[in-house]
Amino acid sequence: MALRREAHPGVTPVLIFRRRTLADREDLLGKVMLAPALFYVIVLVAMPLVLAILLSFSASFAGSLDFHWIGLRNFGAIIRDPQFLLALRNTVLFTVISQALVMVLAVTAAHVLDAAFVGKRVVRFLLLLPWAVPVSLAAMAWTWIFDSTFSVINWTLKAAGLLQGWLYWFGDPTLAMIAIITVHVWRMFPFATVIVLAGMSSIPQDIREAAVVDGASFWRRLFQINLPLLLPIVTVSVLFGVVFTSTDLGVVWLLTRGGPYNSTHVLSTLAFQRGILGANLGQGASIAVFLLPFLMLAAVGMLRVARRAEVGS
Amino acid sequence: MADQSDGKWVRVSEGRWRRVSRRDFLKLTAGAAGVAAAAGNFGSLLTSFVRAQQRELRIMTWSHFVPAYDEWFDPYAQRWGQAKGIRTTVDHVSFADIVPRANAEVAAQSGHDVYFFLSPPSAFEQQVLDLADINREAERRYGPMVPLVRKSIYNVNTRKFFAFSDNWVPDPGDYLKSAWTTAGFPNGPSSWEELLVGGRRIKERSREIQIPIGIGYSQDIDSNMATHAIMWSFGSSEQDANENVTLNSEETVRAVEFGATLFRDAMNPAVLSWNAASNNQALNARQTAYILNSISAYRTAQDNRLPVADDINFVGALRGPRARWACEHVMGCWVIWRFSRNPDNAKAFLLDLVDNYREATINSKLYNFPSFMGSVAEKKVPLADKPEEGRKWVRAAVTNDPFGSTPRNKLAILRDAEEWSTNVGHPGPANPAMGEIFDTFVIPDMFAKAATGQLTPQRAVAETDRRVKEIFTKWRRLGLVGGGGRDR
Repeated sequence: MALRREAHPGVTPVLIFRRRTLADREDLLGKVMLAPALFYVIVLVAMPLVLAILLSFSASFAGSLDFHWIGLRNFGAIIRDPQFLLALRNTVLFTVISQALVMVLAVTAAHVLDAAFVGKRVVRFLLLLPWAVPVSLAAMAWTWIFDSTFSVINWTLKAAGLLQGWLYWFGDPTLAMIAIITVHVWRMFPFATVIVLAGMSSIPQDIREAAVVDGASFWRRLFQINLPLLLPIVTVSVLFGVVFTSTDLGVVWLLTRGGPYNSTHVLSTLAFQRGILGANLGQGASIAVFLLPFLMLAAVGMLRVARRAEVGS
Repeated sequence: MADQSDGKWVRVSEGRWRRVSRRDFLKLTAGAAGVAAAAGNFGSLLTSFVRAQQRELRIMTWSHFVPAYDEWFDPYAQRWGQAKGIRTTVDHVSFADIVPRANAEVAAQSGHDVYFFLSPPSAFEQQVLDLADINREAERRYGPMVPLVRKSIYNVNTRKFFAFSDNWVPDPGDYLKSAWTTAGFPNGPSSWEELLVGGRRIKERSREIQIPIGIGYSQDIDSNMATHAIMWSFGSSEQDANENVTLNSEETVRAVEFGATLFRDAMNPAVLSWNAASNNQALNARQTAYILNSISAYRTAQDNRLPVADDINFVGALRGPRARWACEHVMGCWVIWRFSRNPDNAKAFLLDLVDNYREATINSKLYNFPSFMGSVAEKKVPLADKPEEGRKWVRAAVTNDPFGSTPRNKLAILRDAEEWSTNVGHPGPANPAMGEIFDTFVIPDMFAKAATGQLTPQRAVAETDRRVKEIFTKWRRLGLVGGGGRDR
């Protein structure tokens, strides 16, 4: 029971007793309301992650529930495996090139959408479509666009007389990687654009107007006003993109399944092939969690930048 | 006062507003959640009660490449369930999702009672029931199963039937008669050498065909079968009959050299990226003149009334320097999980399915071949004669295709398919090591690397040999694969 003092104008305050409930206990209420989210994170994120880490130290295979601890043997095996090293290199390349392209396109698109023009809403809607389309559906369309035999790009270029020979998009490792990066950038840049656009709207209008009045050119405004002020939010976007891209399975698997001859595997697809299709769960898990320490560092960086941006605002 | 000042005005209906305090809100949501939870619990309690009283069978199978089969199978399963008083559910999964889905069921120790695989599921041996009883019962009723089927479902090391097979599918060569006539082989190629010679001629004489020979060297199931067929025909294999690793051999190098020559002279890099549908699409679009596949590409052309259907013809396994083998295209394997709640129903269903296999073969448009040849014989035929009578029935059906082939004997080459077809793992059994090699596309990668000049044939074989030995070592350690004493 809690003691409450109720004060009414013109009335002598009286002491009344009321039952103190959960709603009155701010400290406990916060924890209770946070609990469902925490439960969700523990059950659906933390537990699978811990399980994957444990599996990476085991000789487990798909058709068994046995757990044989083998220490770091899986990691030793994959580090000696040229296919793993290629997948690691592809993951880094895929992530760096994709993110660089995404940010260039996102900043460009955000500047275009920041301007006033007829049909701006329609353009915004169209721009967001790739983000909203399910990855499997998009990948099916792109698979046909880049098909080695029936590629619409090839047929169009041929018809226009711009292509001699033939581009085997998924049959050549370099072209296949270009196709993968193209689809991933197409998919990711709308989200980055929205983030940058939100950041641009937070730049005080008077600073922009002052720059215009002072006669600053577009490039000067871009590099000396907009980008420095956008830096915190762009960094958050990049770090999000890095984590998302380096762990992405869908685009690579749906487009090339790691081919031709296992040359376009990234870590997640190689982990799937070895762990699930090949039944080698332990090794698959070790490939999947290999980047975890690096991604955790990236995540810590992301949170710090986000915090700095929050404090700055 | 504090409570009241915290309240928010909430619109409850047109023109009606109510002040809701935080306390009220918590009470309301807690109450609603309680009611919902109670309703949910009651519902699931009721469902469990009802379920416990029902006899049930949950079947997981693939989406068949010949859709007509599913149109027959699903109602058949329902009718079977009704006749037995068993509630039957049939779920379908695409062929690419069969293994991932099976892994999920094993991890959850829950799912379907009976589960269908397209290739021998030897890696799942520890999670499935020994089906020796129904395999023996089927042999008692219909005579011996086809030998390549036995090697695909029985582990000699653990002496366990880890699966039950109702069907297998031959993998003939599908060719365009017009193109091969122009190339001087009106009846198609009969050997790998003729395939190479004919492919070169088609490249010269039929320039509208992008890929004269459409054999995949990619990460897909058809590429696996094609590259294994080349190896076996050149006298090479990953293992011998006793599961010793034998890949590192002169025969393998010669097979890979041949594969590289075939790629350079009669194929193009498109085949490095093919999926399971690519060769069908290329053949039906007349973009390739030869593929290794089942008859499903042809049936698709027929179903879609494509003019190319009449031009598609078939040849059996191609002769190589040492042998004449083709890999089975599909090895239909049913397993019953250890965690199945209705294993007896599942076993009864599988035996009854085989009992109706003439109907199944017809409804697959002759795609499915029976694993027990005797099961398609007339019922009144004595047991001793059933296998041979069943074979006669299959031969008669493919010689006089009832599904609109022109000429009607177009599929006649399948009469002796049993003689030139073999299992994954040939000349040994389809063990888990072979399953992993097959499912991670180790052999097509070896051919692709040599074909594109990434590695010399010798180095491609040496690299693949290391990988194969690693895989065998791992499975031997688990006691599921034998051999090892005479690894090469």
